[in-house]
Amino acid sequence: MRSNLIRFSLLFLLATQHLWAEDRTPSNTHEFLLNNGLKLIVREDHRAPTVAHMVWYRAGSMDETNGKTGVAHVLEHMMFKGTDKVKAGEFSRLVAAVGGRENAFTSRDYTAYFQQVEKSKLEEVMKLEADRMSNLNFDDAEFLKEIQVVMEERRLRTEDNPSSLLNESLMATAFMSSPYRHPVVGWMNDLQNMTASDARDWYRSWYKPNNATVVITGDVDAKQVLASVEKYYGVVAAKELPVRKPQIEPPQRGAKQVQVKAPADSPQLSMAWKVPRLEPGKLNEPDPYALELLTAVLDGYDNARLNRSLVKQEKVANDVGVGYDMVSRGPALFVINATLAKGKTVEQAKASIQKALKDVQQNGILESELKRIQVRILSEQIYKRDSIFGQAMEIGSTEMAGFSWKDIDSILERMQTITPEQVQAVAKKYLVDEHLTIAILDPQSRKLASKGDKP
Amino acid sequence: MRLLHQITIFLFSLFGLIASAQATLPIEQLESFNGARAYLVQTKSLPMVDIEVSIDAGDRYDPAGKSGLADLVAGLMTYGARGDKGLLSEAQIADEIADLGANIGFSVSGERATLRIRSLSRKDLRDRVVQLAAAMLSAPSYDANIVAREKQRTITSLLEAETKPEYVLERRFKSMVYGNYPLAQSPSVKSVSAITPADLAQFHKRFYRSDRMIVSIVGDVDQAQAKEIVQNLLKKIPQTGPNIPTLTQLQRSPVEPLSEREVFIPFDSQQAHIAMGMTAVTRNNPDYFPLLVGNYILGGGGFVSRLMSEVREKRGLAYSVFSYFSPGKDAGIFQAGLQTKSDQGSLALEVMSQTIANFIANGPTVSELLAAKANLVNGYPLRIDNNRKLLDNVSSIVWNDLPLNTMEIWTQQVEAVTLDQVTAAFQKYLAMDRMKIVVLGAQNK
Repeated sequence: MRSNLIRFSLLFLLATQHLWAEDRTPSNTHEFLLNNGLKLIVREDHRAPTVAHMVWYRAGSMDETNGKTGVAHVLEHMMFKGTDKVKAGEFSRLVAAVGGRENAFTSRDYTAYFQQVEKSKLEEVMKLEADRMSNLNFDDAEFLKEIQVVMEERRLRTEDNPSSLLNESLMATAFMSSPYRHPVVGWMNDLQNMTASDARDWYRSWYKPNNATVVITGDVDAKQVLASVEKYYGVVAAKELPVRKPQIEPPQRGAKQVQVKAPADSPQLSMAWKVPRLEPGKLNEPDPYALELLTAVLDGYDNARLNRSLVKQEKVANDVGVGYDMVSRGPALFVINATLAKGKTVEQAKASIQKALKDVQQNGILESELKRIQVRILSEQIYKRDSIFGQAMEIGSTEMAGFSWKDIDSILERMQTITPEQVQAVAKKYLVDEHLTIAILDPQSRKLASKGDKP
Repeated sequence: MRLLHQITIFLFSLFGLIASAQATLPIEQLESFNGARAYLVQTKSLPMVDIEVSIDAGDRYDPAGKSGLADLVAGLMTYGARGDKGLLSEAQIADEIADLGANIGFSVSGERATLRIRSLSRKDLRDRVVQLAAAMLSAPSYDANIVAREKQRTITSLLEAETKPEYVLERRFKSMVYGNYPLAQSPSVKSVSAITPADLAQFHKRFYRSDRMIVSIVGDVDQAQAKEIVQNLLKKIPQTGPNIPTLTQLQRSPVEPLSEREVFIPFDSQQAHIAMGMTAVTRNNPDYFPLLVGNYILGGGGFVSRLMSEVREKRGLAYSVFSYFSPGKDAGIFQAGLQTKSDQGSLALEVMSQTIANFIANGPTVSELLAAKANLVNGYPLRIDNNRKLLDNVSSIVWNDLPLNTMEIWTQQVEAVTLDQVTAAFQKYLAMDRMKIVVLGAQNK
């Protein structure tokens, strides 16, 4: 009972703080659109004298075409290989000289580049980033070395990693026509046959100010930032972008299953259902929120349903996890992953998962379970403000999926209005066999595994 | 070389080596409580607080034949404890942490166990979180059924890890570099199987006492509130206990013929994994800063290090290549590593060895030194720009007995490093004829 009191007072506290936060949002976050179509979002946060500077291009692996998978990510690597004025490798040396941290990442939805610097160095890194938006100029020799590096990255992260291989097969099986079926890093054979001109074509197609969003968070003044962004990014000419075909995935007509044999000890099971995602302009649709909350009811804390039943009580799984991303450009999956406990079969784990889901479908969830999740979401909103980089990431990824940064708070507020009945309803409606793809890792022993391996 | 030099000089005049004028937040030392030292950094802008308790109870104290014990002792603290009103089950603990909107977690490294708490700073909430964490820290129940379950989970994870190239490499490398020191032992199916609930309780009783604990707090609390947190966290913990014998000293990696310190492990992975390294220094060693600056140049500086340039940029041999020192209260180690397509193992090892050997023999160039110092000094604000990073810094400073003004003088210490100091420090602590080498999965050997 006492616990309930605390919970409600916490909800109240967070709700009031939230209102206050919302109140100040317009004054600390600013959005501008340059004449060349580049969008700029600045969030002022003066807690420490540092800045995160990011540029997001709305071009990820889902924009690739057959035979050229991985080119978005390869180009990300080539972006460090020189412009008309800056030699190969010089970009990183110049960022390092001002004390910056930098990197880049590619996803199915976008490619993003970032630097974190002490605030007086912002303009230096902005100048460099704006330069490579339109003046990239690498030679073939650099490409030939870097494509080897990318293949090493694929060997490291996928070829020698059974969980990644399993996920790769899961995606390729779940989706028939959506480009989400291809891995971001690309298929090895496509990498082996990729050319420097494939990468250059990609750059010329997508790296335009009208396909980019610059996000800057930290100890800055929005007006001054705007002036700098106008100066460096404003001079880049806009250009028409290639047509994006919708490539909508056709409806799934029955369960699918795929098996992957790879070196491992324990079997792994992935169950993935096709579910809706949040769509821009339809922020009131309850289902994506209910699915997001269902994720947390099943896996959001140590005593959440799947961990409790599969790992602690029935001991059929060693680890279990649930994933769903309601904010994305492409189709969404609701995925449950389990690594099996010693001596348990995939059938046993599957039965336990289905039993736990059936319980939600038939009996619903407790009000207290849902409140617990909603409280966590609220407290995380305070904790996330500890990191300016985290805030830039949230703004950028939301924008890339077709939403506005202004939607972030509305989405979180809407999350608080979802009822236990709505969570039960999405479990019933979407977690059904017709939309299910199952991927199973069948562990193989290594040929030479432990020979000579005793110290 | 000349060109690079000119570029660096140019950068210098352009950006300068100006440390941020922003004052670094001070670390306040609180009154000790039952022998536990306590420290606070006040940051008021967010209504939250981060709390850490470091316990001198790391993996190095695992008894012979029971490797994995320290990990289980800490890991099982969230799975049941005796609170003020009786037993708290693992489910009750997890639910309460969630209801309070808090995070409580334990982790263990070679040297220490660490409890970390993140809570909203409002008094009634934070009091409840601290009370819960105090019960977990002082009176874990180590229920036999849960111990059995978690042992089995650990064993299953170990069997899985043994199929992974990076784990097999790391385990072998550790056993070679740590020699007779306890950290040479990694948990195994056998050692974890041998652990009993009584072992857990006994280890907890011996090591989890306040004279082996340090509390660090960062966030929206004042001195009086912080003091209250420390007292509530530790009041049920005994101040002291039986004498704990000192550990064997970590012996410096000896000079040995290559055949004695190089190992090839056959493995049918697509990539060969390589590790090379030896024992090095403690964090409070006066040569820490020359080694830090030098390692930035050799293999620590992201995309601009020599290893990155030789292995990745010039030859396309690897995605990841690095070197680092991991100094602690004990002498830590120096380690370098990479992964490459299995038929390139020999070539990559040769390039890595030559790069390291050359650096030890000749040290950095003037321009490299200036570039390294520019990065470290200009980038220092990024190491302390939020509560979590501040806590990491405070934690390291107080654990390693460094001066409390370490954050304030850090950039000066970097700037003071000379070329000769870097070269001398690398020659003093590292030597190619002492390096342990493990090559796993190379196909041409």
